[in-house]
Amino acid sequence: MNETTTTKEPKILILATLSGGYAGADYVGQQHLNYSTNTSILPVRCPSMFSTEFYIKAFEKGIDGIIVMYSGTDSPFKGGPERTAVMVDQTYKKMGELGINIKRLKLAAICTVCKKPFLKQVNEMNETLNEIGFVQDELADQGKDK
Amino acid sequence: MTEKTNPKPEETKIGVYVCYCGGNISDVVDVEKVAEKMREHPNVTIARTDMSMCSDAGQSIVENDIKELGLNRVVIGACAPSLHEHTFRGTVARGGLNPYFFHHVGLREQDSWVHSNNPGGATEKAIRLMYAGIAKANLLKPLDMIKLKAERHALVIGGGVAGLRAAYDIAGRGINVTLIEKTPFLGGRMAQLETVFPTGNNAREDLHSLINEVRTHPLITIHTLSELVNIRGYIGNYDVQIRSQSRGVSGDNAEAALAACTQEVPDDFNYGLTKRKVVYRAYEGCFPSTPAVDWEHYDGKPIEIDGQKVIFENKKKTFDLRIGAIVIATGFQPYEPPRGDYGYDELPEVVTLPQFIRHMGLRDGNVGELTWKGHPVRDIAAIHCVGSRHLAGVHEPQPDGILNNYCSRVCCTATLHQVNELLDEYPNINVYDFYEDIRTYGLEHESYYTEASKKMVRFLRFHGDQRPEVVAAPEGDTHPVLVKGKDYLTNGLEVEVPVDLVILAVGMVPRPVDDLVDMMKIPKGDDRFLLEVHPKLRPVETPVPGIVLAGTAQSPMNIQESCNAASAAAAKVAVLLAAGQVELDPYVANVDLDKCEGTGACIEVCEYEDAIVLETMTVEGKEVQRAVVTPANCSGCGNCVSACPHHAIDVQGWEVAHYEAMVDAITMEVEI
Repeated sequence: MNETTTTKEPKILILATLSGGYAGADYVGQQHLNYSTNTSILPVRCPSMFSTEFYIKAFEKGIDGIIVMYSGTDSPFKGGPERTAVMVDQTYKKMGELGINIKRLKLAAICTVCKKPFLKQVNEMNETLNEIGFVQDELADQGKDK
Repeated sequence: MTEKTNPKPEETKIGVYVCYCGGNISDVVDVEKVAEKMREHPNVTIARTDMSMCSDAGQSIVENDIKELGLNRVVIGACAPSLHEHTFRGTVARGGLNPYFFHHVGLREQDSWVHSNNPGGATEKAIRLMYAGIAKANLLKPLDMIKLKAERHALVIGGGVAGLRAAYDIAGRGINVTLIEKTPFLGGRMAQLETVFPTGNNAREDLHSLINEVRTHPLITIHTLSELVNIRGYIGNYDVQIRSQSRGVSGDNAEAALAACTQEVPDDFNYGLTKRKVVYRAYEGCFPSTPAVDWEHYDGKPIEIDGQKVIFENKKKTFDLRIGAIVIATGFQPYEPPRGDYGYDELPEVVTLPQFIRHMGLRDGNVGELTWKGHPVRDIAAIHCVGSRHLAGVHEPQPDGILNNYCSRVCCTATLHQVNELLDEYPNINVYDFYEDIRTYGLEHESYYTEASKKMVRFLRFHGDQRPEVVAAPEGDTHPVLVKGKDYLTNGLEVEVPVDLVILAVGMVPRPVDDLVDMMKIPKGDDRFLLEVHPKLRPVETPVPGIVLAGTAQSPMNIQESCNAASAAAAKVAVLLAAGQVELDPYVANVDLDKCEGTGACIEVCEYEDAIVLETMTVEGKEVQRAVVTPANCSGCGNCVSACPHHAIDVQGWEVAHYEAMVDAITMEVEI
């Protein structure tokens, strides 16, 4: 399993709610619309469960960009979207402290049939990552500065 | 069946299965390569591929492997989990494992179908996602479903034939039904028809027989002029709020009000061909028989009844219900061509098929000669696919930007059925049928075409990008309208047919139900109709558990198909509610008492009453406070998880550790 890819490309983690982004991603599939393969979509019930520590660890492991596709006002969980926003906001602060570009983390409300917003988020994150580069380069630069 | 303990990692024996999905996955993803890579994983005992993992044969492979190889975890890469996660949990359980020792990886909707332009990348992604699935499977624990009381009460939204059929079938299984209808009268579109295919029966007679069954059923409560305005909860326990408008008139003054009312508006029952009063019945014999005030059009002025001036008041009321499941049967509306399309709304001799059917129904017993607006009708043109099968680049999208590119299916048979009935009554009329394709699908429906041919209907075939044109005939011509086009049955011969009447066979569009869609979080398809989970495998279910579809809210259907779909929806509701309880996934918060310090941080962020409380307990001889979860009150949102400073609380089946392990797998470099 310890093998390497020939062309390194940024890794995008998509945390997608079952009631929103994950179903939206399925819908994009049903429409046979293409997007980049550097995406890994993980289903979540509500991203309010993720602490700042989780996001930072993911960046440290080599995830270059994270899109939290939550359900926004469509969420079936009371207080879930608000808590998610709080955690993402806290994470931005921590990212700033650690020198991780905050553009690497994006919170977006995606509904079950939001095919265009889904594709827009993926494309924009790819454009951002092409512009700012790999997270591990960024972290290495921070290490040098210290 | 439930294992008492979680096997230690070194004992983990995982079976991995990668589905071809009949080519849906394997046409893009190198499925054999994915399985080959899975075999390299130290925890994988066996990795197989199969043409169709969801088939009986595919599931048997998994069951046998669990028994023969002693597998204690299963990972399957296949279509979307929303389709077959439940199926495979059953497979795993039949093999003798706790059903939650299974993880489903979606390789179709989120890989092969979106990466058809990059098979290599799609294969690499499949490997990455499968490794992530294995990483999660390694950490899975046995869980038991939560059983909750389910309200044996269904809500049916829509009082057309599909809603009526669904309500009656559900009630027939001993389940209470509340049927709500937005308009004042039951019957929907079927009430506007005269005869129906394939039986040739009178539409309203068939409909009234069903309405009578429904209205006299002791388990069915009907609310007309009512709509859903709020919904909360989950399968088995939806709290819904219904808002009802008053009829405005009651038994005492209803007939007098109907007689005294003078304000008139176009009659929507007759598609605007006639006018009706704002105090009205949809038609004679409708149910309820009590007239109602048309609140949308009533001008608010007093009406003199028995010497007294009366102003009607719309006394709205709302009421709450606890509902176990919901059937959406909101129906369709006929496509309304834009002004000028085929001369519609510009030339008085151009009507839609629904209007023509109403015109036939409105005749006053005079069968000697068919007339239209006082003029005899000798020649008729019928034009198919109006508002259907539109082509990108040829036709303008609808005002909402959507192109009506679907086939409405029903119009061909409906048109020919109507033409045949017409010619039975008026054999001397000439009918010219302009069609793109004749699609009289269904058992013996082809006979409508052959019968029309025998009755000398002249068929002319056009191409989708060269549809016929309808223009006013020059003054002094023998007929008021000309239909011009190319007939591809005669090698594209230019034709010009003078007619007295043009019937547009319009397609179906769904009724606007965006308010329901927003409230219930159910998806719509590209054609705006409500979307089922899977057209073949779960044809009436929406992705929201306990909410099912019936009839033309879902897609164009004829009455037979609407009733079939409604009965299927009713059967689904009965299965859900018959036992009086539903089983929910056990995805609720769980406290690790060894880590809990009783800070109460979890309670501070929890929005659910009594889901978590602090209880006093004795630990190592000391009285301490510890968090305790009541599963029935917990939604499993995970707010508490990110709040706990000691990582002492998690959501069962969706633990942070699972995600961390999956991120590890995703970030691993993979070569194919």
